[in-house]
Amino acid sequence: MFSNEKNSAAKLWFVTAVFWLLLGMSLGLTTAIKQISPDFLNYQITTYGHIRSSHVMLVIYAWLSMAYVASMLYMIPKLARTTLYSEKLGNVSAVLYNIVMLEGFVSLLMGQTSVIEYGEFPVWVDVQVILVLVLVAHNIFKTIAQRQEKVLYVSIWYFLGSLLWLPLTYIIGNLPASWYPSGTEQALAGWFLGHNAIGLWMTTVGVGQIYYLLPKLTGRPLYSHELSMIGFWTIATFYVWNGPHHLMNGPVPGWILKAGIIPSLLLLIPVWTVFHNFFATMKGAWHKVKDDVTLRFVVAGSIFYLMACIQGPLQALPSVSSLVKFTHWTVGHAHMGPLGAFSFTSFAAGYYMIQQITGNEFWSKKLQEAHFWFSTIGFLLFSFSLWTAGIIQGFAWIEGKSFLDTVLMVRPYVIARAIGGTMLIAGQFLFAFNIYKTFKAKQSSVVSEGNAVATA
Amino acid sequence: MEKKPSLVLLVAFTLFIVGVIGTVILPYFDGEINEPTANAEARNYKVDSAEARGREVYIQNGCQTCHTQFVRSVQADINQNLGPATAGGDYKYDLPHLMGSNRTGPDLMWVGTRWNESWQRQHLIDPQSTSPGSIMPSFAYLSEQEMKDLIAYLMSLKPADAKPK
Ligand code: HEC
Repeated sequence: MFSNEKNSAAKLWFVTAVFWLLLGMSLGLTTAIKQISPDFLNYQITTYGHIRSSHVMLVIYAWLSMAYVASMLYMIPKLARTTLYSEKLGNVSAVLYNIVMLEGFVSLLMGQTSVIEYGEFPVWVDVQVILVLVLVAHNIFKTIAQRQEKVLYVSIWYFLGSLLWLPLTYIIGNLPASWYPSGTEQALAGWFLGHNAIGLWMTTVGVGQIYYLLPKLTGRPLYSHELSMIGFWTIATFYVWNGPHHLMNGPVPGWILKAGIIPSLLLLIPVWTVFHNFFATMKGAWHKVKDDVTLRFVVAGSIFYLMACIQGPLQALPSVSSLVKFTHWTVGHAHMGPLGAFSFTSFAAGYYMIQQITGNEFWSKKLQEAHFWFSTIGFLLFSFSLWTAGIIQGFAWIEGKSFLDTVLMVRPYVIARAIGGTMLIAGQFLFAFNIYKTFKAKQSSVVSEGNAVATA
Repeated sequence: MEKKPSLVLLVAFTLFIVGVIGTVILPYFDGEINEPTANAEARNYKVDSAEARGREVYIQNGCQTCHTQFVRSVQADINQNLGPATAGGDYKYDLPHLMGSNRTGPDLMWVGTRWNESWQRQHLIDPQSTSPGSIMPSFAYLSEQEMKDLIAYLMSLKPADAKPK
């Protein structure tokens, strides 16, 4: 039952990732609606907290992480000029990972949570997440070991680093609560995970995708390999130091916070390297953005990445933090990376891979266009409402308005956020339908070719 | 290095470990966050006490996704009258910690000083009755035992010196 066919593992990981994308985003929209009318679906299993937690965990560890694994399983053999070490293992691990995500989802609905944000699955699920990730890493490391192309393209650096960092980061933040010497210590470890799940997994694999896709889609070589290396090493050096800024103005000694602020500012270096490379590679290829939706997703994702990285270091400053921390702003910012930047690059990776794997264009170009515009406009509406709401709330708290008043005050923005979210989800359903049709068209063309051969 | 994946991994691992030591391991040796304060002792609930069970109810029903327990000495928190800023040692026994990251509802670090039991019960059953327009969902589905435990926990969230011993 487990196929050995070329690219079958990448395909299975991506297709099942899209299923979680639809589910995870619907949970997000449910959360948004519950913030408007709290009685919506208010049963024990679907109480606000359960839905919010499973939204966060599933979009990150199911949708995005699975789309990432799919990208790596497809891109690494190409870059290494070899085949995947084992398609079968890739398929087995896809099935296992899906089962683990389902377990995680059910346990969160049942109220079993380990509380730590970005690490909410209970420990018994965490152990399985790690085991399957190790299977994936094993498959990929073996593939790299048997490579024909000796020079490692920069995307491989990013993928290699990420596959090492994610399991380690995940373990540090997810140890059983009683193993930490104090709640504050656990918060530091937890935010180490919270920040580096983004910095050393989402960002690094996403940047690897950008570096792979840009030259392919523009037909121009990457502007500078050296610059991308500088980017890689500065991320590796500085990102790990960023966890403490999540406890800004909080119950930790000043030196730890400073250890969080300075590296946050230094992170502008890797961002700059990505952008310089991005613009220099795009030079002379901008006209392609108009017709090529895949390239357009890479461009939009990269721009959102830049925006996220300008916000991030600013928010790490104590003064800015004291205004926006704990407000809707934070939620807006938290969606920039995983959704605006790297879900967009993963959509692009999906379009690119599926076209390569099937050897066909997508079933409908119109639906691709619609997917792009629904996602982009939906996302902009979503984030601008949250940022505005956050700033209004931040100032209202400083003025000493009663908390309930500050909730009522931002209601219109919370409604706008839900409208943006609805558009986003609508876009993803079009994406899923288009993928389905594309594979279906491929199947029937294979069947009819087969018949033609048989009758000839 | 461009041809040696194992070297890339080794250096990447080393840089990672340096960051872990700096931000997770070194703080362990800082007394300020590991010495229990009087507030921490007041929250060091006995196993299976009503407060300890109530804390579990709080976690299982996801109160921490809307409420922080994290008071800062910044204008916003001072003007919102949230109570004294929390210190690292206050969380000594708070495992898993419930600091939270988002205030969809107000901070609850010292909420035990703000309301009495009957208000808490009424609010948990029908939040809109005590706070018109509130977006907090009703927790009327909790069993009587869970409700009692949860309220005991909420009422225990006070500064140590505000507690009659
Ligand atoms: C959807 C987010 C949400 C969830 C989940 C939620 N709350 Fe609330 N909570 C609020 C909001 C908003 C307010 C402010 C308005 C009000 O008083 O209802 C509030 C207020 C409160 C207050 C009064 C605080 C004060 O200082 O006046 C308490 C106590 C409280 N919540 C306890 C809980 C408990 C216990 C749970 C879990 C069983 C919980 N909340 C879950 C949103 C939420």
